[in-house]
Amino acid sequence: MKTQPVEVTRGLREACMSCSLQELCLPRGLYGQDLERLDALVDRQGPYHEGDHLFRIGDPFDSIYAVHAGSYKSYTVDSEGREHVLGFHLPGELLGLDAIYPGHHVCNALALDTATVCVLPYARLSSLASQISGLFTQIMRLMSKDIADTATLAGDFTAEERLAAFLVGLSQRFQLRGYSPNEFNLAMSRRDIANYLRLATETVSRVFARFEKEGLIAVDRRALHLLDLPRLRTLCESLGSR
Amino acid sequence: MQAQYDITAGGFDPALVRRYDVAGPRYTSYPTARQFGPSVDEAVYRHAVKRSNEDFIPSALSLYVHLPFCKSPCFYCGCSRLITRRPERIAAYLQRLHREIHLQGQHFDHDRPVRQLHLGGGTPTYLDDAQLSALFGALREAFSFGTEATREFALEADPRTVSAERLVWLAELGFNRVSFGFQDFDSLVQQAVNRVQDPEQCLALIGAARQAGFRSVSVDLIYGLPRQTEAGFTATLEAVAAARPDRVAVYGYAHLPQFFKAQRRIRNGELPDAGLRLRLLQNAVEVLTGSGYEYMGMDHFALPQDELVEARIRGTLQRNFQGYSTHAGLDMVGLGMTAISHVGDVYAQNAKTLDGYYAALDSGRLPIERGYLMTKDDCVRADVIGRLMCYEELPFSAIERRHDIVFREYFARELIALMPLQADRLVQVEADRLQVLPRGRFLRRALAMVFDAYLPREKVADTYSRVL
Repeated sequence: MKTQPVEVTRGLREACMSCSLQELCLPRGLYGQDLERLDALVDRQGPYHEGDHLFRIGDPFDSIYAVHAGSYKSYTVDSEGREHVLGFHLPGELLGLDAIYPGHHVCNALALDTATVCVLPYARLSSLASQISGLFTQIMRLMSKDIADTATLAGDFTAEERLAAFLVGLSQRFQLRGYSPNEFNLAMSRRDIANYLRLATETVSRVFARFEKEGLIAVDRRALHLLDLPRLRTLCESLGSR
Repeated sequence: MQAQYDITAGGFDPALVRRYDVAGPRYTSYPTARQFGPSVDEAVYRHAVKRSNEDFIPSALSLYVHLPFCKSPCFYCGCSRLITRRPERIAAYLQRLHREIHLQGQHFDHDRPVRQLHLGGGTPTYLDDAQLSALFGALREAFSFGTEATREFALEADPRTVSAERLVWLAELGFNRVSFGFQDFDSLVQQAVNRVQDPEQCLALIGAARQAGFRSVSVDLIYGLPRQTEAGFTATLEAVAAARPDRVAVYGYAHLPQFFKAQRRIRNGELPDAGLRLRLLQNAVEVLTGSGYEYMGMDHFALPQDELVEARIRGTLQRNFQGYSTHAGLDMVGLGMTAISHVGDVYAQNAKTLDGYYAALDSGRLPIERGYLMTKDDCVRADVIGRLMCYEELPFSAIERRHDIVFREYFARELIALMPLQADRLVQVEADRLQVLPRGRFLRRALAMVFDAYLPREKVADTYSRVL
């Protein structure tokens, strides 16, 4: 007997189309009870305001989060109270993966602007993974990609190379989510970017100003317009393809 | 030499002007200071400054310092000023000003150089050399000054308070722009407004300033003053034009005695009527453009090689509280009583009274009392009005790209309201731009007013000066 495909429920939203976990949230070939079980997983939390923490170091781990709207910064604080930015998380990107193994969060997640997140409770996720094919693989695949991303930043690269790579990386990430690869408004500050790339704040602005002068980018407050993506790419060629 | 913008080619039609001769703001800001209210206080301002520090390329700075003291009152004056002969009053003010400079300097990141500095008042040159030197030093210590080659450090100078030697000293201190208030050389007019100055001495200062190293010398004149005549004003204009200052600002006197006490000393009966005002301005335009000055719009004329003209060509001309300015995109810090700051989308104004100003700083607070937080709509309109005040063309694409709107839809009502102005050949509404026509260059305010969202709700009356 031919099974009729179940209609996507109202809980699965259009914005989910470009989420990292879209295969998880909008699976093809899942019907009825499985789909409903999955829909029950996608709880939305928020809106969180700029400066709200999603989780802090030491918080017990219970859920993975996917940014639905807005953006987040993950960071740690060292013994001298200095902040170290670990990364930025755009819509569709995941937070909390690094808590899986230790069982508690090892960094802080801060909303950089008004944000909402999709909550995927890990406890339920594990149990479902055994019932829904590809689910576990998806998470594993995403985790290893994330780890690979952060490794590229370490190393002895010039400020220009790091910033070019940062911009090219953002462009790709935006494009993956269905946004423009050339024009984007960012919520992080220049200080955050500097911290993340291990540069002085003034250096970030100096390099951006030089890029602007050379026609590579146009900057307006925190809006970036990439004018010459190919040339930016050649600038970070030595960092390897991402 | 035929200047690029020949107003007379467009014709100066008195009937036309009378029709548009309604009260209007000068649009040195949008929204105008009338919209300022208590929603902005020190906390809001400091947050705006903090945010501006976090821009990817934080803008450089423009400082304005208000020095309100004058020795004697000029009756036409509508500025915020205090008449005093007591040095201790000035010292008391400077003490608080220094504190304010120190506090403000702490909030700005130090890779944001000061590209512009403007000392206004009152009479900035009423301060003695020690006071000016200390002030300059305090500013240099609190902020990071831009390189000498690119910065514009200006001060207003009362001709009665400076000599050639003093100009040399001021240039050595670090100023490279100066504006002299000449108003009118006609002695009858000077007496009527209590601003008696020797024309020869005034004119000599222009050359002296250049020799001292000032890169741009500006002269202020005023039309519409009591007892002014066409002959007298023309003589003044011709003498000034012959001395070739880089810029001439020709302000229209705004008679608002209900707001400005000193103006009550001016007899209404001695004021030029609307027709004479018009002819006085027309003479100014004819004499100045006839001798090679370019008409910038509103009150300003500049020689073709002056940086204002260069800025217009480059597209970096803008309007701020000091009039026309070469630097668009600088955050502005206002220091002193009544001074206005503009950082990000926030306007913040300092206390308007000495008591308020002192009280705040004596308790370690910035003296910010009012201001305005711009909305998205304000930002769009400010952009449109700014361009209408500075340029001949307003391409819709420039606004659309920056603010993510469709001009014809967003401003559908305003485009209709422009129709009568188009019929009168002030402006041409094209498919993709607005073109300010020669006749419209005199009535830019009338064009800007169409886009001012606050005007319909205001009692227009005579709160603002007449459009010309």
